[in-house]
Amino acid sequence: MATVKEINIPVADPHDPYKVPAAMPSSADRAPRSFSLDDFAVPSRKQDDFRFTPVDRINEFFVPFTASGRTHVTISDMKGHKLDAAKVEATREAMGERYSGKVSKPNDRPSVVQWNASAEAVIVHIKHDLDEPVLVKVEGSGMDMDALHLVIHADANVHADVVVQHSGMAMLAEGVEITTGEDSQISTTFVQEWQAGSKHVGNHRIHVGKGASLRHAVVTLGGDVVRIRMDQDFGGDHGDVNMLGIYFVDPGEHIEHRTMVVHNEPDCKSRVVYKGALSGKGAHSTWVGNALIEPTAPGTDSYELNRNLVLTPGAIADSEPNLEIENGDIIGAGHASSVGRFDDEELFYLQSRGISEREARKLVVRGFFAELIEEIGVDAISGHLMDAIDRRLARSETPNSDSVFEEDK
Amino acid sequence: MHTLEIKDLYASVETKEGRKQILKGVNLTVKSGETHAIMGPNGSGKSTLAYTLAGHPKYEIEQGQALLDGQDLLLMTPDERAKAGLFLAMQYPVEVPGVSMTNFLRTAKTEVDGKAPAIRTWTKELTEAMKRLKMDPKFATRSVNEGFSGGEKKRAEVLQLEMLAPKFAILDETDSGLDVDALRIVSEGVNRAKEKDNFGILMVTHYTRILKYIKPDIVHVFADGHFVKTGGPELADELEERGYDEFMPEGASESALA
Repeated sequence: MATVKEINIPVADPHDPYKVPAAMPSSADRAPRSFSLDDFAVPSRKQDDFRFTPVDRINEFFVPFTASGRTHVTISDMKGHKLDAAKVEATREAMGERYSGKVSKPNDRPSVVQWNASAEAVIVHIKHDLDEPVLVKVEGSGMDMDALHLVIHADANVHADVVVQHSGMAMLAEGVEITTGEDSQISTTFVQEWQAGSKHVGNHRIHVGKGASLRHAVVTLGGDVVRIRMDQDFGGDHGDVNMLGIYFVDPGEHIEHRTMVVHNEPDCKSRVVYKGALSGKGAHSTWVGNALIEPTAPGTDSYELNRNLVLTPGAIADSEPNLEIENGDIIGAGHASSVGRFDDEELFYLQSRGISEREARKLVVRGFFAELIEEIGVDAISGHLMDAIDRRLARSETPNSDSVFEEDK
Repeated sequence: MHTLEIKDLYASVETKEGRKQILKGVNLTVKSGETHAIMGPNGSGKSTLAYTLAGHPKYEIEQGQALLDGQDLLLMTPDERAKAGLFLAMQYPVEVPGVSMTNFLRTAKTEVDGKAPAIRTWTKELTEAMKRLKMDPKFATRSVNEGFSGGEKKRAEVLQLEMLAPKFAILDETDSGLDVDALRIVSEGVNRAKEKDNFGILMVTHYTRILKYIKPDIVHVFADGHFVKTGGPELADELEERGYDEFMPEGASESALA
């Protein structure tokens, strides 16, 4: 059965308005969490969570399926060398056995379908500080439906970076659980470089430990439909989560990222920054940034931002920040969102120095993302991401896809 | 020896009230090594002339030519004009987030020269030029013009002028927003670059004070979209004394003194 919180609306004390929460029900009360398929209706665009999603194109992810099991997962360090098992353990377990199924529960139809379809979970258990990032390589193997469940579990006080790289052709339902221990400092970076025609529906459930900081980055550079939902909460006070996202959308592609930051503990900080570039007809991006500040979270400092750069006409970017603030005693809860085209003055400035319009556009796009990539701060990872962006920009250079940097004449 | 020859140039801009003609028959010849001061009251069209020559998309050419050694700049894209040897130091340099000055300058130099600069000499030249302009070395790694103060932006423009070594440089209100020290540093930079590359200068300015540092050979008064008076350096002194009143509509008044 779905877990549904009892709704209990307290009454404010007029002498201390901060002492009790706002007298209103929270959206969290209405959101089911469950391992049972029957608790979730099949998505339609009438449901708020699927309002922007082309549900007809991802029907396969809404009904139970038998996973092909052919998705190839390899875990190593960034150079492909074996991991030091004393520091980080990569294992597999039956679903729900020890580490999996612990961070909340599935929260929508595709995530419960994925949970039920996954035969086993891949566990990355980080026990000690790592000098070099862990690389989880996920290679798709064709158009048969597959399910993957990945758990990243970091112990208390650990400093480590994990990169999850998706490539190949795939129809992948993916569940990710991230738990970080007390006072740990973890970064996780998820790169989607799927081949054209791939579909990927992902669900990240994230629990940030007391006093811990997590940098969670998502980079989506290709795929016919990619929809990733990320739900996060805190395990104690003074947690810090920094969610960064980068996406590049080609004609006909739908790339959707939904972040749900839940401030349920005092004095925690969250930053969500997502930036995307879109080109061509039918390119569609969706960013929905939800932030919920619960009555139990005084001292919250939260901010979310989404910027979209429309490179050529015909692309659509949906950008929707939602704030739900149930506590008046907070440091901040801000948001910003924009959809814009190239700035003519920037292009003219670069051109007036001898740089061709095409090269100027590339520089501007690279710069648009570079700011965000620099923020990631770990050299091996930022280098890797800038390479991925350059690969993506180089792909736009091929004669067939000239349209990426030319206006429709 | 290079020649820039502007012939009977008319240009207009789209405004809310419809198309408005700004340049109304501009004629001017500048040769290598010459410094021309283009002075005039606000709204006379002198900055429009600068941006039209550089190819800003806002301005539409109605008639005329701008020949650099016989080749019409007005038929070229802005980057082709830069490659042909034109440089515009802007009054309001644009911020380009995420693109570092170093990367930008090297890309521009490569495009203008048609080949990448030799890495060792390039870095050395850049470092020295920055030092002479009293620019903090950290500017090299910062995004183009981003978070620069007004004075820092102007120094960065002169740095580009030095590094790109054009045939003709248009300086658009380079003195605006500079205090005396910054004005001296920027002017010395321009003079140094000119000494080295012997380019021709079109110096657009409202005020006479920059002329104390960058000495003009010829001074023009620009009013209502074209040149109305030309003289030697003494014309600047006259303007300083009398302002622009005689070149403006009846009853209007503007001083040429900052």
